[in-house]
Order: sequence, then structure tokens, then C-alpha cells
Amino acid sequence: MYKTFIIARMEYLSTLKSKSFVIIMLMAPIIMSGSGLTMKLLENKVDTTDKKIAVIDRSGVIIEHLVEAAKTRNESEMFDEESGKKIKPAYIFESVEPAENQQSQQLELSDQVRNGSLHGFLDIGSDVLHPGENQETRRITYHSKNSSIDQVRYWLQSRINIQLRRLRLAEVEVEESVIDDVLTWLDTEALGLTSIDEETGDIKDAQRSSEIQSILIPVIFGMIMYLLILMGSISQLQSVMEEKSQRIAEVLLGSVKPFELMMGKLGGGVGIAMTVSLFYVILAVIAVNYWGYEEFIPYAVLPWFFVFTFFAIVMFGAINAALGATCNDPKDAQSMTFPALLPVIIPLFVMIPVIQQPLTGFATGMSLFPLFTPMLMTMRVATPTGIPMWQPWVGLAGVIIFALFFIWVGGRIFRVGILMQGQPPKLSNLIRWAIKG
Amino acid sequence: MNVIELEKVTKTFDKLVAVDDLSLAVPQGSIYGFIGPNGSGKTTTLRMIMNIFYPDSGSIRVFGKESQGSSNNRICYLPEERGLYKKMKVREILKFYGNLKNGKNLDKEIEFWLDALDLSEWADKKISTLSKGLSQKIQFIATVVSRPELLILDEPFTGLDPVNTDVIKDEVLKLQDRGTTIIFSTHDMGIAEKMCDFIFMIFKGKKVLDGTLSSIQDKYGSDTLRMSCKDGISALKDLDGVDKINDFGQTQELHMNGECDSQNVLSQIMSRTSVDSFEIARPSLHDIFVRIARPEHEEQH
Repeated sequence: MYKTFIIARMEYLSTLKSKSFVIIMLMAPIIMSGSGLTMKLLENKVDTTDKKIAVIDRSGVIIEHLVEAAKTRNESEMFDEESGKKIKPAYIFESVEPAENQQSQQLELSDQVRNGSLHGFLDIGSDVLHPGENQETRRITYHSKNSSIDQVRYWLQSRINIQLRRLRLAEVEVEESVIDDVLTWLDTEALGLTSIDEETGDIKDAQRSSEIQSILIPVIFGMIMYLLILMGSISQLQSVMEEKSQRIAEVLLGSVKPFELMMGKLGGGVGIAMTVSLFYVILAVIAVNYWGYEEFIPYAVLPWFFVFTFFAIVMFGAINAALGATCNDPKDAQSMTFPALLPVIIPLFVMIPVIQQPLTGFATGMSLFPLFTPMLMTMRVATPTGIPMWQPWVGLAGVIIFALFFIWVGGRIFRVGILMQGQPPKLSNLIRWAIKG
Repeated sequence: MNVIELEKVTKTFDKLVAVDDLSLAVPQGSIYGFIGPNGSGKTTTLRMIMNIFYPDSGSIRVFGKESQGSSNNRICYLPEERGLYKKMKVREILKFYGNLKNGKNLDKEIEFWLDALDLSEWADKKISTLSKGLSQKIQFIATVVSRPELLILDEPFTGLDPVNTDVIKDEVLKLQDRGTTIIFSTHDMGIAEKMCDFIFMIFKGKKVLDGTLSSIQDKYGSDTLRMSCKDGISALKDLDGVDKINDFGQTQELHMNGECDSQNVLSQIMSRTSVDSFEIARPSLHDIFVRIARPEHEEQH
């Protein structure tokens, strides 16, 4: 035990002092939050170039309204009220008379879009007010270089439909004031569940729910755990292989038993992973508090996160140390890396469906398979939906059993492999060494 | 009292018998030399003593107990293959290995050994900056820094220049003076002859020699003529009664067959050339080693 501790301490301190570790530790959150940070940075970097759109209104009932609505929008939304700075582009609609040959006209307008004199053009069918059977005359088409995600299209869709409904209601002689009432649009707010405050016993209001809570938080937990497993466990493969090929292992075996050596290395890996996870969590809590999203911090998930991270590092670390002991050179280690990574990559593949529907049989089954449990169960626990309380406990029991099994098997393979030179890391060898010891 | 006792120990790797029915006893306070050709089973035997390998059969007792070895802090082992963490500093690594053996007063011991081996100026340098010879000396210190009672050295002099060989040799002898029992394996027969109280030779996994140098030489009798002459080896061809000649350039060693008379050989030589020196001697360890190992090599060729 004492010798295991000495090895673990040496592994831990030497990793902690290495420059590469500091870089990885600081780079990882930056890379992971990179896309979010970029989105945040680009949030106000909107294209404010005015958008000139040609409108062929074959129905004759829309263009006037669009010009009016655009004028109102441009006056109220284009400039920041405080700074007076232009923050949105102006929408400018220009009526174009329908030509006899629709295709030629659309081609001509498309050319204008291509050469930049127009942002896009809108073609409104003649029967849009009362759409009949004819698919051609009831169509509204918007053409631009990137029409599917063009913000103008979303705006047009909403304005045109409101105007068409307004016109239809007016035709049946509904009063203007009633029309406004009929067309009043209300948003449905996304909220969580109402609960009882454990301290006061009062009923707590439901908190606002968002995509951050539903998707982002579980994903962050999963990604951080993935990173920690890479750092604390998968790295064992390379590290043990290096010690074996540089003959350090044999020197160490003069002082410690192979099992003590393996457990020492594992202890170092666990120490590193737990230090990094603590660093990430503290950093995240500070950052989230700073940005005013403190209600999104899932304190109840943190204990599960730490426990599952701990056992995941032990479980994967043991098997990777054993695999490392079977490798003779970097080439062998390279060929072993993919199979070693597979049980950590698969949870990433199924992450989104599991988070979106954490209660399905698929999500439950996958998260109860011990190799996938640490990542998937933590992600499921982190979803606002919640999962039955027995599941993380059963999952944890499975992970502990697997971790102990891997330590036992890994120890046997490690013991033989670490001094075996020239034998390739074949599956048959692994099985033989695991059985024979 | 014997520090190490092996009884009928056998170890096989797949179909290869690495050590075959080996029995051995190493007395306390002695220097025990392991010799044998490459692949004969020396390292496997040492690893079994260290409990790194388990024997298939037989028993190994160290300090009177079984299953000792690397876990026992009274025993230290310098393996044949040298390996140190390249990014660690000399002092750090010595402390690490000393701690693994639960060494006492490590700071003092480290200073003492660095000074003894003239390495004090390298104490705060990284291992990666050291030459091979210096690394090997550091590795030696790492093995002895915890003051073990039993020291097992696998090829401790390989790769060292004569000066450093002497430095390590002197330190090994000093350790023996302080009561440490030392086992070392070597291919240098000169060192084994000069340093070892007992010599053990293993060949193809079997023990072929075990005892003091004198007792081993007695078995072979005085069948060796050590001489030098004006015309060297060219004057010594086809001598009656001589089986084999080892030519060392300036001197030659002649191995006589059983019935031969040394005076007869001398007169044959004197009739061909002038003799500078002539000595009837017991065979050297080198010669004994070659006599045992060579027939096998010749068969293989």
C-alpha cells in the first residue's frame, strides 16, 4: 500500500508539473466552450447591410402591406435605442410587375441577386388569399443565395400570413378591433416543475427551463468526463508502454510488485482526473455565477459526476495499463488505442438521443451497461426530466463490479506483459495471460 | 547462514526450459558471481529470486522465507536493462527509489553516494542530460541508497569504462565489508575471478559450476600452459599433446590433453622459436567457461 502510494504520488506530481498537462487543462475548457464563446462573440456582429427585395405580387393584396410593415420595422428595430447605432439591416421592398413568362422573369431577378443589386426576390401566387386546388397559384416562394436560413424569410412568412388572415376576416365583415383581438399572438413559456423548498417547506415557483438546461448541461458533463477519461485512463496505455520500452518498468519491479506498480499508476491517474474535474467544476461554478445563470448549476448532479468519474478512471485505467504492458513500441500502442477508446466513444455517438429522451428503453439499457454507465448515466441524471432514483445506484454497482474485475484481469495481464518482450499484443495472448496470470 | 536458498527450481516459458531443477545456496556476507552464456537462465534465476517471476516448481527462500523479493526492503535489485525517468532530476529519482525501499536518512545517503561516485555536480540535473555511463552510476546509487542487506546486480559493469568499472567494483567491495551479501551476474570473467567468493555457472538452464574459484579450478587440474614466445601463435601449430590454443596476441594459453607432459611440449616449442615465458597453470575461469559453452556453439554451427 505504501509503495503504491509512492508510485501514485510520483505519477501525480510529475504529470502536474509537466507543461503539456497545464496546456491541456487550460485548453480543454477553452476548446469545449469555444463554439459557445464564438457564438456569444458573434451575437452582435450582425450583417447590417440593407436588404433590397423585389416582390412579384400576383395576388395584389400583399405588397402594400409589406412595404408598410417594413417601414414600421425599420423605424422601430434598426437602431439601438440607447446608442443610436445601427444594429439591424433595413428591409426595402420593391414591387415588380408580373411578366407573362414567369421563368424568364425569375431568371432575370436571380441574375440581379447574383450580381448583388438585389438581396432576394419574393414571388406570391395569385390565389394566396383563398388557396384552391392549383398548387402553382397558391405558392409563395422566396429566392435568395441562402434562403433556407435567411432571416428575411422568417420575417416575411409571419407578416404575409398575418395579413392574409386579416384580409380573410375583413371579408366576412369582422370589425377591425375584433380582428386585432383574434390575431393576438401569445408565447408559451418553457418552465420546469414546481417543487417544495427543503429548508422552508414553501412551494417554490417553477424555474424557467431552456435548451441550456435540457441539452447543454448534460452534454457538458459528458464531454468533461470524456476528457477526464482520456487524461486519466487512456493515457495509461501510452505511459505504461513507454516505461516498458524504456526499461523503467523492470527497474521499478525490483522494488515493487507488478500489481503495486499498476495500482500506483492508476492512483496517479485518478488523482490527476479528480484534480482536473474539481478545477473544471469550480471554474464552471464561478463562470456561471458571474454570467448570472446560477440557477442552472446542477448541484445534485455533482456527487454522481465525481463518483462516476472516479470509477470510470479506475475501470478504464486498469485495462489500459494492462494493454500498455502488452505493447512493445509506439506502433503497438497505436493499434491498441482505437479498441481502448471505443467504449468511451460510443456514449458520445448516442449522447443526443439519450439526453433528448432519457426515459426510453434504449437510453436506460445503454446507460446500465457498465462501460457506458459513467458518461451516459451522469448525462441522464443531469437532464431536467430526471430518471428513477434506483438507476444511478444500480449503474454504480455495475461500474464498481466491472472496475474490480478489470483490476483483477488487468493485474494478471500487466504482470506477464510488462516483462514480455517481442510478443505482439494479440487477443489470444491477452486471454491466455488473463487466465494463466 | 544462507541468505538465499533455491531447491530444485524449474521455470519454463512455453516450451523453453529456462531454469532446470536448480539448487543453490548463497551464504551471508559473500559475493556470489553468476556466470553463463547469453540466454542460459541467469536473469530468469535472479528475477525468480526477486519474486518477479514465479517458479513452476521448487522453492526459493530469501532470508529464510518464501515469496520475498521486490516487496522486501532488505533486498535491492539492479536489473540488466537500465531505465530511468528522463524528465526527473538526479536527486529526485534517487529519493523516489530510496522511498520505494523505505530507506532511512535518504538526504544524507544521497549526498554520500553522489560524493562517493563523484556525481555531486549532477545532483540537480535532469537524467536526460546524463551520458550512458553516468546514468548507469545513478542507477547503481538508486539500488544501494537504501542500504540493503542483500544486493542483486544483473550485469553491473556492462557498458562502463575501466575507471567507472573500478569505482563501482570498489563500492561493491566496501558494501561487502559492511556485511551486505552481493550476487552479481557478469560476462567479465576477470572480474568474477577477482571479486567473487563463490562462482556459479548456469548453462542451458542447468547448474554446471558452483563453488569457490579454487575448488572449481581443482576439478580441471593443472592442464594449462600459459606462455609467450618470439613468433607467437604461428610457432605453436600442430604441437603433440595440445588440444586447443587460446591466443591473446602477446600471450597464449595451451590446453593439454590428459596424457601429455608439459616438458615435452616446452621442448617442442623451443625447437621452433625462443620462449619468453612459460608457466604451468590451472585453467582460468574464462577457459573453463569456454570449455563448457563452446562445444554447444560448435554443434550449433
